[in-house]
Amino acid sequence: MNAKANIAPAWLAAGAGLWFVVAPGVHAQPNGVQHANNFTSTEYYGPTNQQQIKSILSGAEALPQPGGLLIIKQLKLEIFNPDGRLEWVVNAPECVYDTFKGVASSPGHLEVRSGDGKFRTEGDGFLWRQSEQKLNISNNVCTVIENGATITIKP
Amino acid sequence: MKRHSLVVLAVLGGLMAHAQTNTPGAPSAPRAPMLIYADSADFDLNGHEAIYRGHVRVDDPAMKLTCALLVADVPQAGGHPNRIVAETNVVIDFTDTKGQTNHATSDKAVYVYNVQDSVTNETVTLTGNPVMVNAQGTQAGDVIIWDRASNKIHFDNPHMIFRQNLNGTSADTNPPVTAIKTTNFPPGTIENIDKIIINSSP
Repeated sequence: MNAKANIAPAWLAAGAGLWFVVAPGVHAQPNGVQHANNFTSTEYYGPTNQQQIKSILSGAEALPQPGGLLIIKQLKLEIFNPDGRLEWVVNAPECVYDTFKGVASSPGHLEVRSGDGKFRTEGDGFLWRQSEQKLNISNNVCTVIENGATITIKP
Repeated sequence: MKRHSLVVLAVLGGLMAHAQTNTPGAPSAPRAPMLIYADSADFDLNGHEAIYRGHVRVDDPAMKLTCALLVADVPQAGGHPNRIVAETNVVIDFTDTKGQTNHATSDKAVYVYNVQDSVTNETVTLTGNPVMVNAQGTQAGDVIIWDRASNKIHFDNPHMIFRQNLNGTSADTNPPVTAIKTTNFPPGTIENIDKIIINSSP
């Protein structure tokens, strides 16, 4: 059984239309879910826009845990709008992803930025609800907003 | 009423600068970003809304704001927040276009930004016991609206507040003589009163 076929069901449980592509470096686990390195998961929009990518989730390592949990290291989540424009990029050194609930959380650091980089926020400790695309950062929140305006320098 | 550039709390301070018109030919530089700090925050990436809670602080070159709760539009790519609401113990310090410092407090402040017919509307509306302190004195009103573009501050039902300490001298600024006369008490004879509110004409 190849890695793609083995890991895909876990991610599919978290969200419809989720496709999983795993790079080499996969090791079988007793529970049937595999340990993956340098993986990428691509989610597409629904039937009306099947060719359009909705999100790309990647990580350096995915460690399966009991209860449908995955420990993901070096998480990167990119979210696209229906016209293909990059809307959000989320980075976290490590988090736990509940494949049944579609929820990611961590007591660690998190960084989020808009596609154009003009809105950036970070903090410590987070909960991400995938289906609702809602994010809670529980500590030390700092947001940077650049609106592109300029100021006149008086001589 | 059409409000040109409303007030800005600017949390929007950064925002404030956005409404400014640069002098043609004058050198310009990128505006420093606005920073928002808070204990915690909720982001709705679909709804493009951010809710900041606890020790919220907004640092902007044009203003500083603190409050307990801040709800902000998350701007679309390259866009500008259209609405920001600050609630509970709102404190705003800003410098107007004339270089005058202002200190404002209120229960709630609403920043609104929009562009209609090429006219930028940008305002900050303070409600809930709003008070503004500047070199002209301390003024309160039912509602205080700061129009950033015209650099005007509008007070609904305005009244001046003079704080007087127990030895009869003003703790803030010296009130106009006419204002003192309205109390019918000579300075120095009022005891156990630390605040006099005098209605003034708009």
